[in-house]
Amino acid sequence: MIVLDPNGEKLNLMALNVGPTHPATHHCVRLLTALDGETIVAGVHEIGFMHRGFEKMAERGTWQQVIPYTDRLNYCSAMMNNIAFCRTVENMFGIEIPERNKVLRVIVNELSRINDHFICVAAAFQDLGGTTPFMYAFNPREEIMLIWEKLTGARLTNSFARIGGLYRDSYNGFEEDVLAACKSVEKALKDLHACLDRNRIFLDRTVGIGKISAERAISYGWTGPVLRATGVASDLRKDEPYYDYETYDWEVVVGTQGDANDRLQVRLAEIEESVKIVRQALKRLAPGPVDIVDPRIRVPAHQMAYQDMEGLIGRFKSVYEGIRVPQGEYYCGTECANGELGFTIIADGSGHPYRIKARSPSFAHVSAFAEMVEGLTLSDSMAILPGLNMIAGELDR
Amino acid sequence: MESVEKIVSLLEEKFGAQRESLAKWDACVVIAKENLHAAVKFLKNDAPAKMEMLLDAAGIDYLTYPNHEGPRFAVSYAFKSMSTVGARVRLKVLVSEADLKVPTLTDLYASANWLEREVFDQFGILFEGHPDLRRILNHCEFVGHPLRKDYPAQKRQWLSTSDYLVPELEKRLESKGYKVIERSEEINPVDEEFLEGSRK
Repeated sequence: MIVLDPNGEKLNLMALNVGPTHPATHHCVRLLTALDGETIVAGVHEIGFMHRGFEKMAERGTWQQVIPYTDRLNYCSAMMNNIAFCRTVENMFGIEIPERNKVLRVIVNELSRINDHFICVAAAFQDLGGTTPFMYAFNPREEIMLIWEKLTGARLTNSFARIGGLYRDSYNGFEEDVLAACKSVEKALKDLHACLDRNRIFLDRTVGIGKISAERAISYGWTGPVLRATGVASDLRKDEPYYDYETYDWEVVVGTQGDANDRLQVRLAEIEESVKIVRQALKRLAPGPVDIVDPRIRVPAHQMAYQDMEGLIGRFKSVYEGIRVPQGEYYCGTECANGELGFTIIADGSGHPYRIKARSPSFAHVSAFAEMVEGLTLSDSMAILPGLNMIAGELDR
Repeated sequence: MESVEKIVSLLEEKFGAQRESLAKWDACVVIAKENLHAAVKFLKNDAPAKMEMLLDAAGIDYLTYPNHEGPRFAVSYAFKSMSTVGARVRLKVLVSEADLKVPTLTDLYASANWLEREVFDQFGILFEGHPDLRRILNHCEFVGHPLRKDYPAQKRQWLSTSDYLVPELEKRLESKGYKVIERSEEINPVDEEFLEGSRK
């Protein structure tokens, strides 16, 4: 297209469409750019290619039936979404989950965070042409996935948390597996840092690219590692602690520049902190129940249904009618791998959710993408996008 | 939390807000549409705990809500303070079916742009003064607003063409001081139907 630039000079811009399916967009997102040579003069982007109507579907089942749908929000750390949703509903019930459940949730949360951050960093490096770190990051990730398989029976969409409990207790040998995984995570971190920190090509591509100020990031609603990369020490695990996060010894990681490199380095440093938390949590993992005892909230154990009249009634009511969440409205945010995952819940007192709105971190991050890439080259835009860790599952819901 | 309580009473005092009785677990006030923009400006700049972040805007359709009286729709805004750690407040505006207009917050928060587009897309609530009120999650040819309670979940629609986006790109260029003289041939399709579909 032929345009006059602000100085009145005639320019011939090329309109170039990137996506929806492009190797570097990972999922489906479309960016339409006006290019002057290789520089992006203006960009607009479009999302929604993975919109599956999570919120409409959630209204159609019982409260427990929402849990598998939450898996599909951020599927790189599926269990964190389960836990975030269950925590919101548990807060509405006003119940306190047992100590062992809390510690298990912390371990699962932090291992999921490690997984999620590994995928993000590995994919970001892969997009810039580095295949080696990808393999370094995926070895420990595979170990964690094997733990998931043993723990939940699934690799990707685990549906592990339940309202007022967990699907089941951990298996024999869980602690040893987690410790071994922690060791390989630490080893992989060393390898990754060796690849990243002094890699001239990588630094040239990412340092100073896609900078965003803290004010702008806050205005865009950024949360999580991408906000912390701009230097804002905001982490719900410290700010509004839950599951006794405040009693663990760990630090909130912040960056200084808010550029593409910082966003990845913050993630790597957070993996280190997560390993710290997991090691401490393993020491606290004492035997005990994982489910609360209240047949109106947590369905009674399966053997109870065959031996006990009340157990049978409890199962029947819970499965057919759903648990009855008290009438009211609530917003609750939880720190997930990408940032604050919040649920606005409208409950009408019946066994079905009246309305559930998911506030996904990716939605806020990606909304700034077009503005961030303007003035950069096209290849820079693909160095920025993976650092935002756009997950279409939670972006489009 | 102390500062949140103070904010709620200030909102009640200054903007005639009312505490939402259904919000039993967090601080939420219902506010009249006319006062929304001023109240949010107050929250952002002058409140005892400044609400620097707009986290979420959730549309609600009360059509089948038991014993519900009053307007059919509502928009619930969730705010978070960065300077006062842990301070959160929700603001709710009620929207009647006859008058679906709500003032926009895009001039105060950058996040409001997409959040409001989503509420418009899913519920058909119109945000007055929004610079780019288009669908965001649903397809550009989609008819109706799927999260309304009277939209059947099983309903299917035939959607044929991708979003054109070129007018938006041109708008973006103009806002940056460029002047578009001519569209290039390859992005200017002659097929009128194609254009019509994407401009809805």
